Amino acid sequence: MAKPKVGIFGITGCAGEQIVILNCEDQLMDILKILDIRSFHTALSENDEKCDLDIAFVEGAVVQPEEEILLKEIRKRSRLLIALGTCAVWGGVAAMKNEVSRERLKDEIYGPAGKIFESIPAQPLCSFVKVDFSISGCPIEKEQFLQAVASLVHGDIPILPKYAVCTECKTNENTCLLLEKGGLCLGPITVGGCDARCLSYSIPCSGCRGPVEEANVASEVEILKEKGFTLGDVHNQLRTFAAPAEALQTYFAKRGRE
Amino acid sequence: MQIVKLPKENLDKFVGSLSKFGEIHAPIKKDENTYLFSKIEDLSKIELNYNRTILPPKKYFLPPTETIFRFSPEKGYEPPKDNLNRKYVLLGVHSCDIHGLKILDLVFSGTYVDNYYFTRRKNTSIIGVSCIPDDMCFCRSMETDFVEDGFDLFLSDMDDSYLVRIATSLGDDMVRASQSLFKEVDKEDIAEYKRKSNEMKNYFKIGLELYNLPEIMDLEYESKIWGEMGEKCLSCGTCSMVCPTCYCYDVFDELNLDGKTGERRRRWDSCLFKDHALVAGGLNFRKERSSRVKNRYFHKQRGFVAQYGRPSCVGCGRCIQSCPAKVDIVEVITKIRSVDYE
Repeated sequence: MAKPKVGIFGITGCAGEQIVILNCEDQLMDILKILDIRSFHTALSENDEKCDLDIAFVEGAVVQPEEEILLKEIRKRSRLLIALGTCAVWGGVAAMKNEVSRERLKDEIYGPAGKIFESIPAQPLCSFVKVDFSISGCPIEKEQFLQAVASLVHGDIPILPKYAVCTECKTNENTCLLLEKGGLCLGPITVGGCDARCLSYSIPCSGCRGPVEEANVASEVEILKEKGFTLGDVHNQLRTFAAPAEALQTYFAKRGRE
Repeated sequence: MQIVKLPKENLDKFVGSLSKFGEIHAPIKKDENTYLFSKIEDLSKIELNYNRTILPPKKYFLPPTETIFRFSPEKGYEPPKDNLNRKYVLLGVHSCDIHGLKILDLVFSGTYVDNYYFTRRKNTSIIGVSCIPDDMCFCRSMETDFVEDGFDLFLSDMDDSYLVRIATSLGDDMVRASQSLFKEVDKEDIAEYKRKSNEMKNYFKIGLELYNLPEIMDLEYESKIWGEMGEKCLSCGTCSMVCPTCYCYDVFDELNLDGKTGERRRRWDSCLFKDHALVAGGLNFRKERSSRVKNRYFHKQRGFVAQYGRPSCVGCGRCIQSCPAKVDIVEVITKIRSVDYE
């Protein structure tokens, strides 16, 4: 069987997911045995920009009109499109101030130089194209990427855990930073798979992997308010990584009307 | 059952002597208010006056994740690399947790015996210890505040000494191997033991009323309380992870990059997870969070009673202590039982 043709692309982001892939040093040779990587700008000198692809992995959020065009071209070329990392899946840090006009943001950050390019509110890939599978994380977990590649090459849809960070935090027997230490911890509504890494180092969950399926934002906010945090504190933390997520949008739209 | 006395000054010596019966694991203090069962290398770290550990002893018999078998085209199915036959001594297990293990025994000895679980069970000796309940313990109301079997030795705290119940021949071997550390129980000890026993009921601050509970739950199947709980619950799975009797696990394959070899693994699952009741074709018979919370309560306090003759809750208080949303089983059941609650 021919090796699947693969492209690994990055739009607006930190290239963190691509670095994670390159950091799979012990597995890189095995990856090359099963994937025919045609495009990977971060790692290859010669990239095929036109060929049909079996799998496209795309990192980053859409922040410029050109990126929307590029993303749609990638979609057209690819049988499967996989969103890689929190920016691609949820909008990520680039989307945390989407309510402020792009003109104002460009002016604040770039000054006059900002006039030479266009910018649009940051959105995840799924706002523009069909996404077949998502691997969230800031950055993604190496093990989840490798599992996904193995499953995809085998012809299966990868199965990644959908439970919250709390699940893994408990199995690691960490002291609960939310209940016992009063920390602003988003573990209960953030999707796991990170083995509660930060919590194991006594750092509350900042929600970098994006919301868990059916995130109960209202209950989480009530808990944090009881711990003395303001709605503003919680909102700021929540929108750091996943502002465009429907669960957050719906909750804060409802709060806004109150 | 033979009962002997172990003066507390001899405890360390005795525990040290247990290492020839297996690797010693016991509660240690992790943080201000958190304890966990851990491998003991330094006897002074053992904390026998603890309220509850984060995870129950179930982690030793049904680990949070484990490999069930490995597979490859050349060798077919191979057993996992973990040595299931390692000997352990689990010291300092509370009565409620021993009951928890007895409940897991019932479940895993059903039609399809779980040999992974029972091999570890067989290779682990259990030394229980008495405890003073805190404000989240309701074991007395679940009839798990004392235990008559399921342990090799049980230590009852008598301030200056422990009265040691010997329940098995292995327990007897442990005591005989250090005979000089033990004394005979005298009349004063008996009086003191009775005094402490009679006092015990005064320590409990909360409890469930089990009388007619399965029927009351059936009658309140449509109660609005399940909707209210569904609003609060985060589906984070914490209650299931820390529960000494939650035994659900998910089975999945981890494929290696060659696409041919890999491992079949299992990990703890929770009926609060949305995909727990997701079946082929996309149907989910417990799609609503409220129905999942309801299911958890019904399974513990109603379904399990029908199947095994007792609730599968042992009143350890872990779910009360660790639920981020403060969902409290005693409160929920008390509400359901209340005549005024509509």
